[in-house]
Amino acid sequence: MALAWPEKDDHELLALVQGGSHPAFSELVQRHNARFYRLAFRYLQSKEAAEDVVQEAFLKLWENPALWQADKNAKFTTWFYRVVVNLCLDWQKRKRPVELTDSMAIIDQRENADQALQRHQEQQALEREIAALPERQRTALNLCFDEGLSNQDAADVMGVNLKALQSLIMRAKTTLKERMKNYF
Amino acid sequence: MSDNKDERLEQMLRARRLEAASPDLAARIILQAKNLPQLQSVSLWQALRQAFAEFHLPKPAYVLASALVVGMVMGFTLTPDSFPTNDEILTTTQNYIDADEGLL
Repeated sequence: MALAWPEKDDHELLALVQGGSHPAFSELVQRHNARFYRLAFRYLQSKEAAEDVVQEAFLKLWENPALWQADKNAKFTTWFYRVVVNLCLDWQKRKRPVELTDSMAIIDQRENADQALQRHQEQQALEREIAALPERQRTALNLCFDEGLSNQDAADVMGVNLKALQSLIMRAKTTLKERMKNYF
Repeated sequence: MSDNKDERLEQMLRARRLEAASPDLAARIILQAKNLPQLQSVSLWQALRQAFAEFHLPKPAYVLASALVVGMVMGFTLTPDSFPTNDEILTTTQNYIDADEGLL
């Protein structure tokens, strides 16, 4: 699907969405759905669940566009990351976390069986340990490593200052290093 | 050693598995939204204007109503102690007359 209004920035599109413009909403969805899906997937480790969450987030915005208040939020993406994170956390509270299964491993064909198995085990262990981290440490890690947000942007999403974010990442990494020491 | 661990961990974090989203995810969301009505948010000012739009009164009626409201507010604000009693008025008048007679 071609982008209808590539020249319009997010805030202009949101103003149009607030006026009931469906094409503007379509543009926003096409522009940003992939990045919010990635974040949701990191939390939920399930394609279906992550897609559901992203869909729910965008439909909430469409139904009630007044949720977005331009004067209160610096950037649409910063605000929407927060919406998606909250929905993921709600989803996790409502439903049991998805168990990682063997079929979830990505096995590189060039690797031999031992290497592939080792990589698979590492991935599973890492996801398990990340899922066991305190919520804020996990969010900090997901935003900084997977979304490639700058520390300042990630801090804005979480509503904390830069030092607090760096401290969260540091603690998360320390815990992971300790718990993953068998794989180093 | 610690640096190696840091590097290894960062490498693992960057290589986390990601299952690609369905190619039609955006299209599905857009289609769903087409079937959903938008909630129209009404500000307080708009709500008041709508309420008053129901009553088409001429302007003098608003002026009269405002004057009545102001009068009632003032009436309830002033206590009976604010006004002189009849005895006080009589005494003040008598004093004034007496003062005049003294001059004569």
